[in-house]
Amino acid sequence: MNATAITPDTPGHRGVRENTLAITGWGVVTSLAIGAGEFTTAIGEGRSGLRDVTGMFDEELPEHEAFAMPDFKVRDHLGRKGTSFFDRSTSLGLLGCTLALDDTDLTVTDDNRDRVGIVLGTTAGSIKATSDYSRETLEGDRPFRVNPVLFPNTVMNCAAGQSAIWLGLKGVNATVAGGRLAGLSALRYARNQIRRGYADALLVGSAEEFSPHTAWFSHRQHSAEEGRAKVGEGSAVFVVENAEAVRAQGRTPDAEVLAVEVGTYGAPGREPDAGAGLADCVGRALRRAAVEPSQVRAVATGESGIARLDDIERRGIESALGAEVWRVRATEWVGECQSASGSLQIAALLAGHRGHPELDGAVSVVTSVSPDGGVGAAVLRGWHRARGDHRG
Amino acid sequence: MNRRVVITGLGPVSSIGTGVTAFGQALRAGTSGISAISSFDSSGFPHYMAGEVPDFDPKALLRTLSTSEWGRTSLFAAAAARLAVEDAGIDEKALAGASAGSSIGTTSGESQVIEALTAEWVHSGLDQITPAYAAQVPASRLAAAVNQELGLTGEAVTLSTACSASNYALGYAYDQIVTGDADYMIAGGADSVCRWAHAGFYRLGALTEKVCSPFDKDRSGILTGEGGAALFLESLESATERGAHIYAEVLGYGLNCDANHMVAPDPVSIAECMRRAHHNAGIAPADIDYICAHGTGTPANDAMEAQAVVEVFGTRPPPISSIKSMLGHTMGAASGFGAIASALAIDEGFLPPTTNYRTPDPELPAIDPVPNESRPAQPKVVQNNGFAFGGNNAITILGRVA
Repeated sequence: MNATAITPDTPGHRGVRENTLAITGWGVVTSLAIGAGEFTTAIGEGRSGLRDVTGMFDEELPEHEAFAMPDFKVRDHLGRKGTSFFDRSTSLGLLGCTLALDDTDLTVTDDNRDRVGIVLGTTAGSIKATSDYSRETLEGDRPFRVNPVLFPNTVMNCAAGQSAIWLGLKGVNATVAGGRLAGLSALRYARNQIRRGYADALLVGSAEEFSPHTAWFSHRQHSAEEGRAKVGEGSAVFVVENAEAVRAQGRTPDAEVLAVEVGTYGAPGREPDAGAGLADCVGRALRRAAVEPSQVRAVATGESGIARLDDIERRGIESALGAEVWRVRATEWVGECQSASGSLQIAALLAGHRGHPELDGAVSVVTSVSPDGGVGAAVLRGWHRARGDHRG
Repeated sequence: MNRRVVITGLGPVSSIGTGVTAFGQALRAGTSGISAISSFDSSGFPHYMAGEVPDFDPKALLRTLSTSEWGRTSLFAAAAARLAVEDAGIDEKALAGASAGSSIGTTSGESQVIEALTAEWVHSGLDQITPAYAAQVPASRLAAAVNQELGLTGEAVTLSTACSASNYALGYAYDQIVTGDADYMIAGGADSVCRWAHAGFYRLGALTEKVCSPFDKDRSGILTGEGGAALFLESLESATERGAHIYAEVLGYGLNCDANHMVAPDPVSIAECMRRAHHNAGIAPADIDYICAHGTGTPANDAMEAQAVVEVFGTRPPPISSIKSMLGHTMGAASGFGAIASALAIDEGFLPPTTNYRTPDPELPAIDPVPNESRPAQPKVVQNNGFAFGGNNAITILGRVA
């Protein structure tokens, strides 16, 4: 791989393809580690984020272990002021955004904050916040006795809106409800905003919270699946800019997003076959990226041990890239994190690059498959982090 | 590629009418879609009116989806999309074989499903919830339902940027066709009335008792509403080639964020959003003939919107009316219905009224709300406002094809 790797200094790299996005910093919040540097170390050491979650909530949970953070409190990271009413999804998303901004060499000032925004992916916002609100209307003798201060937590764009307020970012602010496709959908949305010239930089990622609700929803649907990954929570957020502009400023990205393609096919077992759809999607993404299948070093999959979904992903990848391509399975480290999963898969790839200069210029693919027939693929090219002006 | 984008199909599923003919007639007549809540038990609530669609019959509208597998909001989205495609008169097989997808906006997604699961939890325990309901929770199913119903294999993206989400969706669909990433897109939004939102708006003091009267001196708040709104988009070249009826052209849009307060809108930021939309559409404020207002009917929102309009348009702004006076606040579908109303205004030559208007507000002297009766007019360029919790502003600009 080293011999053929394209580095920032090789001539072939100078001509950055049009519409390519650069990732210039990232933040991650998981039970495995918090922050890009810690996350890189933890993955390098092969650690697992599986935790004992007994007693994490008043309600009984279906399983004793999850990839969750029983001791996580947002105030430990961002202070007590202004954080006391945040729901967990908002806390995870905001901390991801904050860490990503800390990790980049992009500077946000009054001169550019109108051109810097946020695109966050979700499944359904804080399901716990909505359900708790619902519960209050059902249990009280007066159904309207809900807490108005908590009302904003019930809307799905709460995390993105609160993050914009916290960080003072007045540009595009979008929330993409993508479920397992959320990470790739958010990237695709961001790519559109940047190539159309609506924004200069975006914090792009996705978040998912662990709660009794998500634990039981998953358990009631999938408990019969042996080998299923335990559920988790987390967020990953990337600072995304126009790659050409970043290069022109003499800055070095952590990675470039060369393409993101998505499609909609039948649910597992139905037509049109989503496995063939994913193969088509990967093929389209590679063509857009001008990369040959043989140049792909690794595929970061969403595989979570749910056979009917993993089968679609396996068939799609084997058909597009062959059976030999190396798999990076983020669920082994961070669990099944639903809408956060696609972003965490990308973070796992970036962690590999951050610590390994010999991988510079290597190309990877990220794949996502949803139970509703949605499929997606992104193509990334990564570099190690050598610049001294950055943490991590 | 830099293609012009036009709207050739409209699919409203609303409390004032389903299908473009019924909806258009009701809009012109100033019909009220407000009724006593029937989708949940409203006993115990001081206020019990909403803009529900009590006669919504997904089985009669949908041909592909099995209605038992999907939540109410997904069915609203798919039914609206089906109507928009039928209205566009495009061959369904050709559409399914083309590069086509959907972008659907929403505030609450399938939160009626979350309410049903919560009720199961309260009555029987979390270990007894119905697995099939749990599978219906992801809001991504709204756009997925649209693609599945119509057999589209392209992108299905659900944008959940609250009450401006349909304008986000319309803007995204527009870009996909401009750039050639897609040839056909269905854009719109959907939401369902639900108990927790009714309770929340009541406790915020934002809910009026029986009548929503935007821009009126005595306006006292919103009524929640529901439905599905869909628009069929294609390139001008494609529409012309197949001899389609063109309602309007999508000229552009603008997005920004107040980054200031979760629920209190910021007029300075909203004025900036209007300028972004105008710039993107390549027009000046003087070109706008009509503004389809966000117009929720709360004292604060209407005053803020009027203030932003005056800042951008001066003391003689174009007529600005709120169809929420008829529909209630359909949340994530609201700016989708606004876009449909705007397209009809351009195509049929009228301005939709603000109904329930009694007393002019001396604090809003510049505002012409098209009171109570629709007005014959020939608007060439229309601005459709959408603002949301989170300070998420989105404005689309539609124009007559010249």
